Amino acid sequence: MGGEPRRPLVAFEAEDLGYDNQVVLSRLALALYPGERVALLGPSGAGKSTLLEALRRRLGDSAAWCPQQHGLVPQLAVYHNIYMGRLAEHSALANLWNLVRPLAGPWRQVAELCDALGLAGLMRRPVGQLSGGQRQRVAIARALYQQQELFLGDEPVASIDPHQALRLLALIEARHATAVIALHYRELALSHFDRVWGLRDGQLVIDAPARDLTLADLDGLYPDADSSADEAIDRGQP
Amino acid sequence: MSQAVLRQPEPRPGWLAGQSSGVRLARHSLTLVALAVILVPFADLAILTRDPWGELARMARGLAWPAWGALESPLEALGLTVAVALWGTLGGMLLGFPLALLFARSRLVRAGCAFVRAIHELFWALLFLQVFGLSAATALMALAIPYAGIFAKVYAEILEQLPGAPRDALPLGVGRLSRFVYAELPLAWARLAAYTRYRFECGLRASVLLGFVGLPTLGFQLETAFREGRYHEAGALLWLFYLLIASLPWWGHRRLIPLLLLGGALLLGPWPTVDGSLLWRFASQDIWPSALLDGDWRGLIDWLARIPELGPAIGNTLLLGLLGSVGALLVALALWPLACRHFGNPATRLAGRGLLIFLRSTPELMLAFFFLLLLGPSLLPAWLALALHNGALIAFLVARHADAITPGMPGVNASGRLAYELLPRLYPGMLALLYYRAEVILRETAILGMLGVATLGYYIDANFEYLLFDVAFFLLLITAALNIAVDALSRRLRPRETAIIDDPCQR
Repeated sequence: MGGEPRRPLVAFEAEDLGYDNQVVLSRLALALYPGERVALLGPSGAGKSTLLEALRRRLGDSAAWCPQQHGLVPQLAVYHNIYMGRLAEHSALANLWNLVRPLAGPWRQVAELCDALGLAGLMRRPVGQLSGGQRQRVAIARALYQQQELFLGDEPVASIDPHQALRLLALIEARHATAVIALHYRELALSHFDRVWGLRDGQLVIDAPARDLTLADLDGLYPDADSSADEAIDRGQP
Repeated sequence: MSQAVLRQPEPRPGWLAGQSSGVRLARHSLTLVALAVILVPFADLAILTRDPWGELARMARGLAWPAWGALESPLEALGLTVAVALWGTLGGMLLGFPLALLFARSRLVRAGCAFVRAIHELFWALLFLQVFGLSAATALMALAIPYAGIFAKVYAEILEQLPGAPRDALPLGVGRLSRFVYAELPLAWARLAAYTRYRFECGLRASVLLGFVGLPTLGFQLETAFREGRYHEAGALLWLFYLLIASLPWWGHRRLIPLLLLGGALLLGPWPTVDGSLLWRFASQDIWPSALLDGDWRGLIDWLARIPELGPAIGNTLLLGLLGSVGALLVALALWPLACRHFGNPATRLAGRGLLIFLRSTPELMLAFFFLLLLGPSLLPAWLALALHNGALIAFLVARHADAITPGMPGVNASGRLAYELLPRLYPGMLALLYYRAEVILRETAILGMLGVATLGYYIDANFEYLLFDVAFFLLLITAALNIAVDALSRRLRPRETAIIDDPCQR
């Protein structure tokens, strides 16, 4: 990128990441710079979630967070689930009152978000009654509602069709200067992101600007036994 | 392929040999049954009444032709029964909920809850009776205190099993209370409410039983009527009780609860005048052996030696617990197909369900009392009551679970369906359930002593009557210790490979 030296938001220098005693990502070295949009690719189990968790821990509450499991509460309404994104900013009393009657300010802001995400009219519906795609949009709305500079998403557009996914990514992009998003769609990674991090077997094997990469480079991340097995058969490879 | 023909066939396995879970559980159960059979000769199972069949016929006539007119203010007793159950459960909830939040963190809280749980509602009532007399305070505390321990444990278990994802997704720095009301309580709400409702049903039964120690609930009139042989009146009261339980979904509706609470508060009474110094004397002196308070160890040993028949009482309690559990297993095995959609026709199923609900909603103490009048005071009526009540309870749940199973092979005859399709799937859960019930059965065993069966409860009741509070309290502690030990043992023995019928509402 530019010639002047920039300070990274986060940098890992040959660090081991993992849970308890189990190392998932060994000797990881990478840096995240402000203004960068990073696509995180790799087969399942390669360590994407571990890396995102580590970033989240390192960045503290300056990052909006959209987890893979969504972490939604099915019994609560869409509005309350989105409101939970900023639960820490209100007093316990305000949070309690908000359950009894939505606070005016948050209600307005959440309504705007819901309009943008195609959730209009669903704000009072319990999340348990929504479709899978709608839930995913609620999870994204919750992350957007946090109004941070930085967005961390663990497959936020996984179960959404590519066309919709594009629209949602654009929305995330418009509201966050910096983003790290784990993805399934390799094409999107090349067309909509500045940089690609590719993980395979607990190693960072790709860390390059998106414009220097081709789809073939990205295919190398996925072992034949995994998702690209079908494609391999199509191409007549053993 | 020709080698396969030449090979010797695998040797045929012997009786119940092998390591498959079905065979293992069968061996496990047969060991239990064998143990019970070996120990039966030590139990006093004599039939002491001269004409049990005539007595049974008179009782049946009483139930068939209830004397509604002979009842004295039944509505008042009914109202008080509901009020005590409602406020007792509420009290237990209010005490138990904060404890549930501490449950995982504090060993002291866990031990305290285990202790108050291990003593039956009726024994708590006997204890408080000495201080607060025949008053609403005695009744409410007798329910609220053990229920606090139970609620603490079950609520804590429910909260512990919540999915962690919503909690992890919260932004950093969310306060404990906000986290609880947004990311924990909504997820747990349905299960907490279902359990509380179930506990209220238990509270209703317990509230009726409080009449057996003299509190003016439905059980008081019931006991008097039965004891004095006024079976038509007793029949009317029994019907009243069943109607109360059966109509619970209507009058116990969520929206009506505040109204019931308010109305119940007016019915509760009389309130005791509490004498602080007397209360203190009771708690600090009366229930402790004087030798212990004086630090006189030799005196304490003498005091211990003077407690009559402690060994046989403990033996009888444990024996009845074992026999009751094994009996419940056999009853459950025999009865569950009656209420299951895979067997019989609509008429038999309706009858089967009716029988199970009838046995399940009649409190053990009442069943035992009924058999006692029929057969005389031995272990036999207590055994029958425990086996029938708990067996029916387990059978009902197993049948409900079986209804959800679709057999893989259609058109198999009934015995094949039972032995090959259903039982292998249901039995592990059934046995696990029995082990959960074992603790309840032992607790009930002790209170059956109040009817004259020579278990620990008999001596507790007697010593309270003789105002030997120190001995009574000591026996209560032994009962509690026994319950805690059996609970720990049954948790170890319980089959682990499955928890398919595990739901706190069954414990």
